[in-house]
Amino acid sequence: MNDAFSPPPGLLPAGLMDVLPPAAEREAALVEALMEGFARHGYERVKPPLLEFEDGLLAGSGAAVSEQIFRLMDPVSQRMMGLRADTTPQVSRIAATRLGAQPRPLRLCYEGPVLRVRGSELAPARQLAQAGIELIGGAAPEADAEVALVAAEALARVGVTGITLDITLPRMAQTLLEAAGLEDAVARRLIRALDRKDAAAVATLAQNAGPVAALLPPLLAAAGPAEGALAVLRSLDLPVAARAIAENAALVIAAIAARAPSLRVTLDPVEFRGFRYHVGVAFTIYGPGATGEMARGGRYQSANDEPATGMTLYPGAVLRAAPRPASRPRCFLPIGTAPAVGEGLRRQGFATIAALSAADAPAALRCSHVWDGTAPVPVTEESSV
Amino acid sequence: MTTNFADSATGLVLALPKGRILKELAPFLARAGIIPAPDFTDEDSRRLRFPTNDAALDVVRVRPFDVATFVAHGAAQIGVCGADVLMEYDTDQIYAPLDLGIGRCRVSVAEQVVTAGREDWRAWSRIAVATKYPNIARRHFAARGIQAEVVHLNGAMELAPSLGLSRVIVDLVQTGSTLKANGLVETEVIAHVTSRLIVNRTALKTRPEEITAFVDRFRAAMDQSA
Repeated sequence: MNDAFSPPPGLLPAGLMDVLPPAAEREAALVEALMEGFARHGYERVKPPLLEFEDGLLAGSGAAVSEQIFRLMDPVSQRMMGLRADTTPQVSRIAATRLGAQPRPLRLCYEGPVLRVRGSELAPARQLAQAGIELIGGAAPEADAEVALVAAEALARVGVTGITLDITLPRMAQTLLEAAGLEDAVARRLIRALDRKDAAAVATLAQNAGPVAALLPPLLAAAGPAEGALAVLRSLDLPVAARAIAENAALVIAAIAARAPSLRVTLDPVEFRGFRYHVGVAFTIYGPGATGEMARGGRYQSANDEPATGMTLYPGAVLRAAPRPASRPRCFLPIGTAPAVGEGLRRQGFATIAALSAADAPAALRCSHVWDGTAPVPVTEESSV
Repeated sequence: MTTNFADSATGLVLALPKGRILKELAPFLARAGIIPAPDFTDEDSRRLRFPTNDAALDVVRVRPFDVATFVAHGAAQIGVCGADVLMEYDTDQIYAPLDLGIGRCRVSVAEQVVTAGREDWRAWSRIAVATKYPNIARRHFAARGIQAEVVHLNGAMELAPSLGLSRVIVDLVQTGSTLKANGLVETEVIAHVTSRLIVNRTALKTRPEEITAFVDRFRAAMDQSA
């Protein structure tokens, strides 16, 4: 055997991992808690397959992840299939087809893994867990506020505090550039400068480019706490189309503030990074400290051009910010312990580890307690010898 | 040693590049009111992380490319690096809000004086390029329909053409004297480069007041020097 062709048995393909105890149990419990948070607001669970025809995955917002889809040929239908890289397109498809006749708005939720062809240096994982909600057929600002709040509440329920909800208006920059009637080359450079938040370049390019372009520097500087950013938006003389976007954002933010006054909300009016297929408002939820992005979402066009809005949570990221629950105590049951004893302990929240042979020892099996014939007693240093 | 580093949960870390830019940056930092520990400017110091006069701010001194890496990962919230680094290390996690106007140079294509201008590049399908900027080189040549076969070097690019490693180099050019000394001539400027103040995306989103205040301090320092 050539060593070069026999990798060690534990080696997985890049970006994939085995989740071990206790992390696997923690993750499953966290996902269930998030899903319960969705369900209590009337979001009903759907479970699309991991694999489906490519066209279904590419429709609508799916086009954004087209180059991230693992593809394989279906030997049965001879058609190309894809492993989902995002669940939203599948939920869109379900809403438009099998649940097409159900009255709107439709509230659906889902959880499960997605796969992507390539990880990045910053996010190397190629399999990610998602848990999300979609509100299909609701165009009101209250719908956007609802998905943001349901997601924020679900995070609070699993103990994540100190989150920031960042709102962006992916269409604002483009709308302003179109209204400004700039030549392509200047518009392209402005887009790039806006994307990098290069205030100096935006100012230079916007100079002498007309009154609409002159709005860009103050809008770029407005990014920050929502109230301040909204005040800037109100103070500027925006073109009609941009005004509509700003007013919608103000309504969404007001609806959020009315229901969750303590939630920290920031607004970045001219950011569009990472939200190519969103219309209206887009959301990112950042965790406390440097824990990073835990959710993304916003308004999009669902299948059949139905207005829709949604939020996807990343349980992997949420898990890093969530407090660790106390681990389940493990009680060792010596050989011959009555079955009713075990049942009683399990009812109290113990995991019971039944001895199968005389060689089984409590400490070796990582038991925290031992049944001494009358009660579970904590495993001590001496008893582990 | 009694060094109290800024708390990693609440403090900020500023990543600065070693070498060329650091010297130009020193007066700038002073005007921005940032005074690192005295051994910061001592290139022989073994320390990599230095406290400053601001208890909530530490500076780290790393290689220019690593500034972008530290900031992209959020290990440092703020940094200073050349636009060349940002062009090469393309990530959506970095914002570059301020052009500091220092460290002026350019990313250029250069080749041996003896070969320059001798051939029509439109006939080429591929070209061997020695560079520390593989992405910039590939993008630049791909835009004109040429595949760049990159020889990735970390230094002494100027040797590559004469030793047969590559036809051209893509490198940072400041005065052009190194090129000249090695029998090379600059044939094309890919981009003019200055140093940028960069910030981590998550940090800007979650701590906008602090980060914006910091960017403003740098901007004020720039206006003073102008």
